[in-house]
Amino acid sequence: MMQTLASAQPDILQKLIFGDVPAASEAAAWSDGLFLMITWFSIFFFVLLMSLMVYFTIKYRRRPGVPAEPSPHHNLLLEIFWTVVPSSSMLVMFILGFQGYTSKVVSPDSAMELKIQGSKWSWIATYPNGATSPETQALSRVVDNENHVVTEGKQYPIFYVPENTDIKLRMMSTDVIHSFWIPDYRTKMDVIPNRYTGFGFSTPILTPNDTYVHQETGQVMPGRDMWVFCAEYCGDDHSRMAATIRVVPRELYDQKMADWSVKLDPIDAGMKIWTQLCKTCHETNGTRLVGPTWNSVKNADGQFGFGYEALLEDGSSVMRDANYYRESILDPNAKIVKGFAPAMPSYQGQLSEEDIDNIIAFIQSVSDRNPNAGEDSESSDAGETEGETEEAEAGSDS
Amino acid sequence: MSTLEANAGHHHDEGSYLSGPPGMIARIWQWASTVDHKKIGVMYLFAVLFMFFLGGMAAIGVRYELLDPIRTQTTEFVNAAGDIETVTVTTGESLKELMGGMFADGVSGSQIYNRIFTLHGAIMVFMFIIPAIPAALGNFLLPIMLGAKDVAFPRLNLLSWYIYVVGCLFGVFSILLGGVDTGWTFYTPYSTTTDADHWRVVLMVMAAFILGFSSILTGLNFVVTVHKLRAPGMGWFDMPLMIWALYATAIIQVLATPVVGITLLLLIFERVMHIGIFDPSLGGDPVLYQHFFWFYSHPVVYVMILPGMGIISEVISVNARKHIFGYRAIAFSSLGIAGVSFLVWGHHIFTAMGELAAILFSGLTFLVAIPTAIKIFNWVATLYKGSIVINTAMIYALMFLFTFSIGGLTGLPLATLATDLHLHDSYYVVAHFHYTMMGGTVIAFMAGLHHWWPKMFGKMYSEKGAMLGAALVFIGFNLTFFTQFFLGTQGMPRRYANYVDEFQTLHQISSVGSLVLLLGFLVHLFVFVQSILSGDKASANPWGGLTLEWEVESPPIEHNFHKEPILKHGPYDFDSVVPPHWDPKDYPLPEKGNKH
Repeated sequence: MMQTLASAQPDILQKLIFGDVPAASEAAAWSDGLFLMITWFSIFFFVLLMSLMVYFTIKYRRRPGVPAEPSPHHNLLLEIFWTVVPSSSMLVMFILGFQGYTSKVVSPDSAMELKIQGSKWSWIATYPNGATSPETQALSRVVDNENHVVTEGKQYPIFYVPENTDIKLRMMSTDVIHSFWIPDYRTKMDVIPNRYTGFGFSTPILTPNDTYVHQETGQVMPGRDMWVFCAEYCGDDHSRMAATIRVVPRELYDQKMADWSVKLDPIDAGMKIWTQLCKTCHETNGTRLVGPTWNSVKNADGQFGFGYEALLEDGSSVMRDANYYRESILDPNAKIVKGFAPAMPSYQGQLSEEDIDNIIAFIQSVSDRNPNAGEDSESSDAGETEGETEEAEAGSDS
Repeated sequence: MSTLEANAGHHHDEGSYLSGPPGMIARIWQWASTVDHKKIGVMYLFAVLFMFFLGGMAAIGVRYELLDPIRTQTTEFVNAAGDIETVTVTTGESLKELMGGMFADGVSGSQIYNRIFTLHGAIMVFMFIIPAIPAALGNFLLPIMLGAKDVAFPRLNLLSWYIYVVGCLFGVFSILLGGVDTGWTFYTPYSTTTDADHWRVVLMVMAAFILGFSSILTGLNFVVTVHKLRAPGMGWFDMPLMIWALYATAIIQVLATPVVGITLLLLIFERVMHIGIFDPSLGGDPVLYQHFFWFYSHPVVYVMILPGMGIISEVISVNARKHIFGYRAIAFSSLGIAGVSFLVWGHHIFTAMGELAAILFSGLTFLVAIPTAIKIFNWVATLYKGSIVINTAMIYALMFLFTFSIGGLTGLPLATLATDLHLHDSYYVVAHFHYTMMGGTVIAFMAGLHHWWPKMFGKMYSEKGAMLGAALVFIGFNLTFFTQFFLGTQGMPRRYANYVDEFQTLHQISSVGSLVLLLGFLVHLFVFVQSILSGDKASANPWGGLTLEWEVESPPIEHNFHKEPILKHGPYDFDSVVPPHWDPKDYPLPEKGNKH
């Protein structure tokens, strides 16, 4: 049954309905087949009913002096017939739907577990080795003829997964309910605070046609990109809570894992957290988003940046020092900068002390009053050396 | 009204219910303090039509924003001083450009969009579609169709109306303060945490809570009226199907609405007093809210659709001059739907519940489809061998069969678990429920409004104008919503201000459709205004109906009947009874002796 439905897809209707999003797995193709089966069933009965309606309306239109012809007021056999036919068809749909559902949500015990964290308004994927993906891409990126880099949309994270592998998602939200939808797999599940949810999928075997363009380098690489959308309304930037799942050859995946498990220096680690969590609301280039910008800049909204005084909503002012930032991360509504709404959720319990240190290091680095400015080059050098050693170690392990 | 009647104030039951004392203030007081079900029905009618207009404008706003996705373009370049500079430009914030001045500074285009779609949903559901048919048409028709002077508790009926007004005022007040961005479903913990320093969300939730009481009291009134005030000779199976539908609706209103009332109250407690019920950070369970909410809100979709089905039964049989096919099947399927509707709420939560629960709810959901399918078959069978006249009400009834069938059939892949995991919370769902709610309830409401308009106001309207409006509504509706099925299957999630470029063409077609739809409703508005100002006088029975409302004048006198009616024939005995006030010369009866 599985095979028949998947292979019996009529191309035109399939294309019309699902567009350029081919099913990425056997289970997804099977559910497309089921959808088309129900669609054909519906079209048949719809056309039948509408033809009868139009035919009756024309044939029995009112003519002066001609009465309505007598006909029965009910007919038990007919009524039983049209109760039993839809009931039994729906029983078939129910059973097939149940079958397809299990193949979508259940995954083999050997499946690789990918942890997904949803928070307003970004996704983070954590791999079995503890690494998280630092890579992002915009909707599009072009370098125009004046050598300006023009990017469209936000920077969405890219989650690499190896081809031909069973993957199991373990998902949780840190704030409100989100929903992790991969249209290519025809599956979504809600991502709920304080509870794990998940589903499984198997990644396809890549064909030579599966390629993506690496946005920074412009290189054409083997792999397949798929969108992830948040499908449960979660507030201001709900419609920008997207990610890309990139199915790549196993070697490239292993390479990425090795690269990402390297320990970063505090500023880079802070920047990584910023891209994953903070960037939706805080820019570092002076742009006003939901929250204040982090770099040192003076504009119509006031003076910003580490080491400068912040004017608060209640008229008082406070020095933006390490303690101020620490409090703003853990208890965001304690001090609200004038002109901004108290919209930030608390990160208490979600970020470790080390994470907070790293974010503060990053915030310091984008201010011209960076207390560590003198040591900047040294410390980052040290970080790189440390990183290289670990990379070498990781290399020798494998 | 003659001078004689005007002088004899206590004989007020002899004049049209629309006539009243001279003087503006006296007229207003007469309406504001009336316990007449017809006046209350008419007041509801104008209120829900106004709310439909507000909700409709919000819908146009939503479609306007979606013509173009909100995009941020960042250009990075090296400036003259050798530093890297970035310039960020945001495009496509159509609503913000149009009405940004109405919101506080710093509100983004997405935030405005979120408030507008919430506004659309909340107004349309709580203030328009739930009261539209039961409270407006139902109030007017139910007592007359039963042969009664009024509902069982006329003062309670007036109280329901004022509760409705207070509820709407809370909603409007919340909107004037800037609106809410929770979505009309108020899902927790988003709704308990968003916009934390404002009372707007609480006001909007209070609005829904208060409107619930109006709904409960109207339902209670209708149940008692149907049980106690049927005319002599009217047994349960002599009632028009419209009454059966309103009766089933009233039962759902009385049983389900208290649950949402409690739920919304808990939500307010959590928001204001931080009692942890739904928010996990306070020790609550966020999915619990969804179970509570849909335990009410799923049955309530049948509060919306059942009265519409009642209208369709009346309009089709009168205009086809046929006894409705399978009367008992339709009557029992109304009750069946009302019963099963309480067991299917889980299908709104397929993506947030365990496997076993999902499977159970999927099976139960299919059950509710069957009585609905049976009704459609019965209506089509009623047309067989009829003498069918095409007027605006009938066009809308046939249109209902078209759009509601699409709405019903596209529900099948949503009840089917495997396919629902893809379609859930996508535009496919948006299209599906607009085909059932708008293509079902609103289209049926339009059919009923045109069918009973002459009875309510004693004036005929321009059939040609109304048919033009109906044609525009049909084209606009299908253009707007049929495209959205494809958006959904191709991966477009709901409630997005911002979408990837491949969806833009379909969104634009949909937005154009919404303008055609608006135009269609404006034509209807014009036709109705013209009818009130200069329409021909309506006869008591312009369509040749057999139910009791066609035996009274158009518009009816204050107490409906000059003397208590005694029912002598069934509501659909077109093959044996000449309708009252009806010239049988042009429309002869079939040969005698052909009953059944």
